[in-house]
Amino acid sequence: MFSSTVLIVLSWALLAVFVVAFVLRTIRMAKLPIHLRWELAPVPHEKGKSHYGGSYLEEFEWWTKPRETDMVKEASYMLQEILFLRAVWEHNRRLWWFSFPFHIGMYVLIAAGGLLLLSGGLELAGVEAAAGWRSGTTVLAAAGFALGGFGALGLMISRIVDPRFRDYTTPAALFNLILLLAIFATGGYAIAASQNLASAVWGFGTGLVTGDIAVELSGVQQAHVLLGLLFLAYLPFTRMMHFVAKYFTYHQVRWDDEPLTSGGRLEVEANRLLGQPVTWGAPHVNANGCKNWVDVATEEMKS
Amino acid sequence: MGRCCDRGDEVVSTKKVRVKDIGKRGDEVLCPIGPEDLFELPPPYNESEPAWKELSEATIDKVVCNLDGVVALSIPKPKDEAEEKEYVEKFRIGLTKLLEKNNNWTFLQPLMLSLEYCVNCQSCNEACPVFTSSGGKEIYRPTYRAEVLRRLVAKYTKPGGKLFSRFTHGDIDLNWTTITRLYELAYRCTLCRRCAQACPIGIDNGLISRELRKLFSQELGWAAKELHEKGTVLQLEVGSSTGMNEVVVKDNIEFIDEDMADETGIEVTTPWDKEGADVLLIHNAGEILSWPENPGAFAIILDAAGIDWTLSSESVGYDGVNYGLFYDDVQLSRVTVKHAEAAKKLKVNKIVAGECGHQHKAMLTVSDRVLTGDLAVKRESCLTLLEEIVFSGKIEFDPSKNDFPVTLHDPCNIVRNLGIVEPQRRILRYLCPQFREMTPHGVDNYCCGGGSGFAVMSPNNFTDWRVSVGGRMKLKQILDAFADQPGPEVPKYLCAPCSNCKGQIRDLLQYYDVLEKSNITYGGLVELIVNAMVDVKKPFIKWEMH
Repeated sequence: MFSSTVLIVLSWALLAVFVVAFVLRTIRMAKLPIHLRWELAPVPHEKGKSHYGGSYLEEFEWWTKPRETDMVKEASYMLQEILFLRAVWEHNRRLWWFSFPFHIGMYVLIAAGGLLLLSGGLELAGVEAAAGWRSGTTVLAAAGFALGGFGALGLMISRIVDPRFRDYTTPAALFNLILLLAIFATGGYAIAASQNLASAVWGFGTGLVTGDIAVELSGVQQAHVLLGLLFLAYLPFTRMMHFVAKYFTYHQVRWDDEPLTSGGRLEVEANRLLGQPVTWGAPHVNANGCKNWVDVATEEMKS
Repeated sequence: MGRCCDRGDEVVSTKKVRVKDIGKRGDEVLCPIGPEDLFELPPPYNESEPAWKELSEATIDKVVCNLDGVVALSIPKPKDEAEEKEYVEKFRIGLTKLLEKNNNWTFLQPLMLSLEYCVNCQSCNEACPVFTSSGGKEIYRPTYRAEVLRRLVAKYTKPGGKLFSRFTHGDIDLNWTTITRLYELAYRCTLCRRCAQACPIGIDNGLISRELRKLFSQELGWAAKELHEKGTVLQLEVGSSTGMNEVVVKDNIEFIDEDMADETGIEVTTPWDKEGADVLLIHNAGEILSWPENPGAFAIILDAAGIDWTLSSESVGYDGVNYGLFYDDVQLSRVTVKHAEAAKKLKVNKIVAGECGHQHKAMLTVSDRVLTGDLAVKRESCLTLLEEIVFSGKIEFDPSKNDFPVTLHDPCNIVRNLGIVEPQRRILRYLCPQFREMTPHGVDNYCCGGGSGFAVMSPNNFTDWRVSVGGRMKLKQILDAFADQPGPEVPKYLCAPCSNCKGQIRDLLQYYDVLEKSNITYGGLVELIVNAMVDVKKPFIKWEMH
């Protein structure tokens, strides 16, 4: 297996790739220009109307009324979607039985990671009792590996067997599931082999920060940690970034119902975008390479 | 190119259709469909399914028809290989423009998110009325055409795409067969966006259909004739997609005013070009020709309520149609600017959109970030204005005049896409004692099958497809809503406050002989309001097919 030095250098490199690529890809999504309104009911922040999908456009002369939003409803909708995969439950029940444990397994692992950080932090701050949380963290991680592993295996079998998925499953999608399954399996194996995985991971983590090359991990622990880091570095380049994209598809497309106001942010930005050149080539566009959107849209087409 | 695709004489692939097959075996019909594939309707409509029109020999010889055996677009077969290559190259250039901020800022964010993050969980499949009505034809799966576009983008626009895309996205070839099938396939989706509602991630396969149409229109100059040449081009040149200029439209409205006086005993004179009016009402001009009782009923209601209103005779200002919404951002912008300019010229307080779904969506939201500065005229739905009038007490109603079974069709562009759900229902609950909902309804409704411009498209055998496949789920819903009184002895009314939907529903009811078998007629909301007015002495609703 790897020496501690190689392991530490490799880990930092993978973490750096993850952070940079994740941030860049998120910024890329966020910096896409505003678009024409394309909202889709129900919009949960519509106060008093979202339960049936209504919007402020139901109001007579809606521009004379204050826009009332209900952010609690919106958060509640999003939480149900994130935690319970509500849309999959409603529209694709067969898949939900695998997709839900797969996702919840990952949430549990993130929670276990959080608990590990908290207990380690408290321990460093002098709360010695926090060290005792390690075994609880390991139990939580074991649950995460079991749920995630069951889900990943189920999803993989579905992708191979179910005719709905077969032709739409790319080699990359199968690779992603295999990689995750390997992470869950090595984690589970490390715990089953009576190794205190949480303590080992914490030790490795502090070793990374302090540069302590004396840190030692067993073979399976090394495999687990490296696969995990490899996954993180690979994640931003895949469709698995859908958990970030989902914020934008919901908040900046489906639920973006902000009307344009005179002199407001949207009008300023829309005017800037309308000033961009149009180069579409069809004859009716009549773009000629110099015209912008305003020129093209206001052109007199009357014969 | 080989022969295709008459049902009796076609070359048909028997293999399961895969995504990459879109570019293969261009001389075969990729995924044939016919009446025998469709799910069974309730009795008595399960006894026999109308036969589909056979394509003429001339059509088969001259146009590309290798997708499903249906021809909506009539793309001429290419003269030679050079012509094929020319269009394929244009498509490739269009693909790159679709991803550019300057050329496609209008929908770049939703498009990129939908292209890059779909995990193909297929949760959207059953939400699509076309896919389910067709018995699950692979090419109609909402993810199919999206996946084709996704693979093309990955392979032909990304660095290293030809090397890596097979691993990351799957195989695909860009050729004449691919683009012509994809073009036709972009017109097998009604853009109802039911699939987008079902998506856990927020992917919008309806939008992808529209983006494909846009690419074809704005780069290759390919668009459905009914939407482009006879639609937006005619509208911008003459003033209306109906072909009516301002003189003809005024004549027709004058005739409708006279007719209304005869029908109801109430004298109305529709005002034209009244400067400073509170309301500029813009109808879908198709109403004036096909359902004149609708603009007539509007005039009666607005006059009775004392609304200060007007129509505009400015070019395009008297026709709320904006087919650009369905296929082309440039044409969408041109038409919407004309609407706003008509309002600006008359210095009205607001534009009110008549009973037309796509007009609602184009005017109220989609154009919102195009109409800046002094073009930012206030715009609202006729449904909110009508609710205000009906419950204002200015008009006396007798709901017992509407004491017959009534159900409501929710136009996708008004309900799912704008969230205008309750105003029309509050009116119907008040004025129609036997009002009942369809299942599902409101924002979960099914499209009529005429969405995205299909209602005005009837070339070749496309009417058979749009009625019996596109409209099948809607017909089932209508019949189910009246299942307690299914026979012809009880007249029943289907309220569809949308011009496009009415066009499709007219064809749907005629195709299956629904008036005769079930005595169901259809019309708008204003007709029911006028029918319930105490001052209107004779029944306003006509129990006949119109």
